[in-house]
Amino acid sequence: MPPMNSIDLIREFLAERLDVPAEQVTESALLTDLGVDSLMLLELIFEFEDRFDIKLSPDIKPPQSVGEMVTLMDGLIARHKS
Amino acid sequence: MAQRRVAITGLGLVSPYGGDLPDFFERLTAGESAIRHLQTADQPRPLSIPFVSCPDFNPDQALGKPLASMMDRFAQLATAAAFAAWSDAGLERSGPARENWGCIWGTALGGTLAYEKGYRELWQKGRERLSPLAVVLGMNNAANAHISIQLGLGGISMSHTVACASSAIAIGEAFLRVRSGAAPVVLTGGSDVPQAYGVARAWEALRVMASADEHSAPAACRPFAADRRGLVLGEGGAALVLEDWEHARARGARIQGEIVGYGYSCDHSHLVRPEAAGQVRALGLALADAGLQPDDIDYVNAHGTATAEGDPVEVSALKTVFGPRAPELPVSATKSMHGHQLGAAGAMEAIITVLALRHQVAPPTAHLDNPDPACLGVRHLHAALRGQPLEAALSNSFAFGGSNAVLAFRAPDS
Repeated sequence: MPPMNSIDLIREFLAERLDVPAEQVTESALLTDLGVDSLMLLELIFEFEDRFDIKLSPDIKPPQSVGEMVTLMDGLIARHKS
Repeated sequence: MAQRRVAITGLGLVSPYGGDLPDFFERLTAGESAIRHLQTADQPRPLSIPFVSCPDFNPDQALGKPLASMMDRFAQLATAAAFAAWSDAGLERSGPARENWGCIWGTALGGTLAYEKGYRELWQKGRERLSPLAVVLGMNNAANAHISIQLGLGGISMSHTVACASSAIAIGEAFLRVRSGAAPVVLTGGSDVPQAYGVARAWEALRVMASADEHSAPAACRPFAADRRGLVLGEGGAALVLEDWEHARARGARIQGEIVGYGYSCDHSHLVRPEAAGQVRALGLALADAGLQPDDIDYVNAHGTATAEGDPVEVSALKTVFGPRAPELPVSATKSMHGHQLGAAGAMEAIITVLALRHQVAPPTAHLDNPDPACLGVRHLHAALRGQPLEAALSNSFAFGGSNAVLAFRAPDS
């Protein structure tokens, strides 16, 4: 597993899939403003699950902002490690 | 209600030669083959087949990364071709409400590369889960869905899957909708990517594919020739804008040709062995639908795939329909140069037929030095036909499954 934190992974994903410059991926940015629709959010979650070998519950509340996504990911990673 | 005339106002494709549409047609009329040897390295066992690719097609560049990343290659080729046709028709991508404008697409295979990627993940890598995009990448109607979204088309959006006749049938069905007044504009065409490993192997197993090495690949597809060895697969996307004649005139659109007839039939006899009787019915229906007589037809773009069984049956059908005039009927099989794009073939050949009428030059059948005696009886074009009025033409598409489609076109000012 690469040593990468949550926001870096989001930045990498958004650059690779949607050509979003890294500097636009701030905690306050809304995912929809960065071009992440509901399908792309599923893909981002899938990528995240894959990378950290964890599985999100299907009934999680979809994050609206990059910050919410980071919080969600960090929480799960911490729980996974503990 | 009187039937409307249907203008062709836009043409677009992703050219296997890498250039634009005029370049594509120029190379075809010069008899230049786009067929190359495809040697893959990343398969379980390398593929080594003659094939037609679109090597210069860069989906990220053509569509932008965000859009391209939501698509299988068949939908990328479709959308790029659609954008080209739309622009050729002088239409803006976003415009006033287009609630009854439509998209009717053809694909034989759909998103096979997406499916194959999924199978590799599951079966080869032993994974349990697939990308959430797998369904929307693979579905057969992905191409028309993306096109309708991108162009704001609020009417019919559908795809036809009829093997090698998919896009000819899509065009025919689009034609009927515009002619009836149900839609003023329908974007139509087809796309396919048969280079998925499983698809290519399946076609090989049918023993209908030509084989070739690097040297012999360009001449691997030889329709109507005594030494023909089968078809050559290719990827591609091709699109046409069909438009109500008066609608086109009212907005000052350039009318590039007219689609005047559509005939269809099923052999209802065998899955892969074609029957002349079914093809004769489709040809007759297309002529009747167009109000044309056999003597009115100046050129036929044949289905002509270069299979042992298919070519003589098609010539036999043409001889039945055209009777004593058949020996003078100009016929060519352009798959000898651009290969067989399956669900995109009918649209590519429709475009070629429209361009032949527009430019008054019909492309040849390449590599036809030695015609098969069983394929004689029509005027095979060994070189481009020039200097003879071309006012009306047919394009044939005959599919596995026995489905036949024939489209009739007229020159723009005839």
